Amino acid sequence: MLRLEGVAAGYGRTLALADVSLDVRQGELVSLIGANGAGKSTTLKTISGLLKPSAGRITWDGAEIGGLSPREILARGIAHCPEGRRVFPHLTVRENLEMGALLRRDRAAVATDLDAMCDRFPRLRERLAQAAGTLSGGEQQMLAIARALMSRPRLVMFDEPSLGLAPSLVEQVFQIVREIRANGTTVLMVEQNAMAALRLCDRAFLLETGHVVQAGTGAELLASPDVRAAYLGGA
Amino acid sequence: MDQLLQHLVNGTVLGGTYALLGIGLTLIFGVMRVVNFTHGELYAFGAYMTYAFVSLLGVNFYLALALATLAGVALGAALELVLLRRMRRADIDSVMLVMIGASLVLQNAEMWAWGGVAKLIPNPFAGSPLVLGPVSVLPLRLFVLGVSAALLLGFWLMLDRTRAGVAMRATFQDPETAALMGVRVGWVNTATFAIGSGLAAAAGALLGPVFMVSPTMGDLVGLKAFAIVILGGLGSLPGATLGGFALGFVEEFAGGYLSTEYRDAFGFLLIILVLALKPQGLVPAKERIG
Ligand SMILES: Nc1ncnc2c1ncn2[C@@H]1O[C@H](COP(=O)(O)OP(=O)(O)O)[C@@H](O)[C@H]1O
Ligand SMILES: [Mg+2]
Repeated sequence: MLRLEGVAAGYGRTLALADVSLDVRQGELVSLIGANGAGKSTTLKTISGLLKPSAGRITWDGAEIGGLSPREILARGIAHCPEGRRVFPHLTVRENLEMGALLRRDRAAVATDLDAMCDRFPRLRERLAQAAGTLSGGEQQMLAIARALMSRPRLVMFDEPSLGLAPSLVEQVFQIVREIRANGTTVLMVEQNAMAALRLCDRAFLLETGHVVQAGTGAELLASPDVRAAYLGGA
Repeated sequence: MDQLLQHLVNGTVLGGTYALLGIGLTLIFGVMRVVNFTHGELYAFGAYMTYAFVSLLGVNFYLALALATLAGVALGAALELVLLRRMRRADIDSVMLVMIGASLVLQNAEMWAWGGVAKLIPNPFAGSPLVLGPVSVLPLRLFVLGVSAALLLGFWLMLDRTRAGVAMRATFQDPETAALMGVRVGWVNTATFAIGSGLAAAAGALLGPVFMVSPTMGDLVGLKAFAIVILGGLGSLPGATLGGFALGFVEEFAGGYLSTEYRDAFGFLLIILVLALKPQGLVPAKERIG
């Protein structure tokens, strides 16, 4: 459903992506792995419209979407849960969730979804009226995930959802990602924790300095000597 | 004691309009990171538009106030669309220079349009003060206070309760993530500059009939607006409200008890004091609602 072909993008004059080609099919959980600075976050920002591709094509259901605004991308069903959670610290938890549903017009269904999010993440219900900045790191990550889902996306992109979390919470986050896919939402996930990501995903792409250098199923990349040497501690 | 009460009342009236002025400026800085040197001129613009509507076109006084405020909103939107929108990626120095240029153009346009002689805006209120026990207030000033309070409350409710207000605060806090939620950040910027300018014009429209209207009135008021915003803490809305009232009281009390001629200087003295003791302003960053 999503396809990138030879995409290049950057910040001002610095080119962060040189040649990125990847595809995500309906219902899949796809991982994008790579070292720090490889261009994983930049890839997601280019898909979600925060950056304009300087070359290549991005298509969604066959239609070109490269260069559209983030609002138009979101309206087409692609949500982006950014790196570092990025909850709005001075908005309440409820306001953060409502921000996720900003483009939706079905207010009654939004209220139902908000309630369902609170059932899924009971900590959020307890803190609905609290400023998001007062939440713990794990709670903020849950909020960021829930906020992204509030738009009812067909594809949700997570940028390092396990970053900076305690090991027990990391496991919980991956469990949530698994559930989201099981509920029918397609997932594109960026992770530095390559071992966990490869075990979780259907397919994966390996990014190195702005190029996709390997693609395959999670199991194939896990077995690849290059991947093992570079990202899995050489074991 | 009676005099104290009197100064308190006068300070509140002045403080309400200063709060409007400060909120407009701090909002623009908080959302757009633009140091808006045209703010004082928007104040003067609001006053002159009121004069034009009332004295030249014979429009009803209350309607004239509303129209002058709307004219300020329109001028602010135009400034954003024509100047600032093109400079989104420019460095802060260039933006400041352009805004200083724009304020000079506005001030000279006022001079050209209205001449250098100060104007008086007629108003429908009785010229004799209302006497309430030990305090006497001109009805016009009470009206100014009422409208300022209503505008402050209305603005706060808009920001706190409406979807547009929540989107605005989200943009204030993290424009990139707000864009990911579908916020049209460009339009939030235009709206912010327009509303901020409208608040300045409203302050001018309200105080214009209280004082005289002259082409250079924007200079001092622009400086005061910066003082209010710095006093309250840059980008802080409660801070700007507090700063506005603080400046109103200090001017009123210092003018009353110390020296009438130097009343404007005391306000700036207060800023120096606050910045020396509390460099972050009265409302520190973590308490900001923005
Ligand atoms: N805002 C930015 N401005 C300029 N360069 C950036 C910015 N963000 C990232 N980069 C550069 O782009 C490259 C890719 O970064 P990024 O996509 O964040 O990598 P990853 O997410 O894989 O760690 C890096 O060289 C980084 O320094
Ligand atoms: Mg990254």
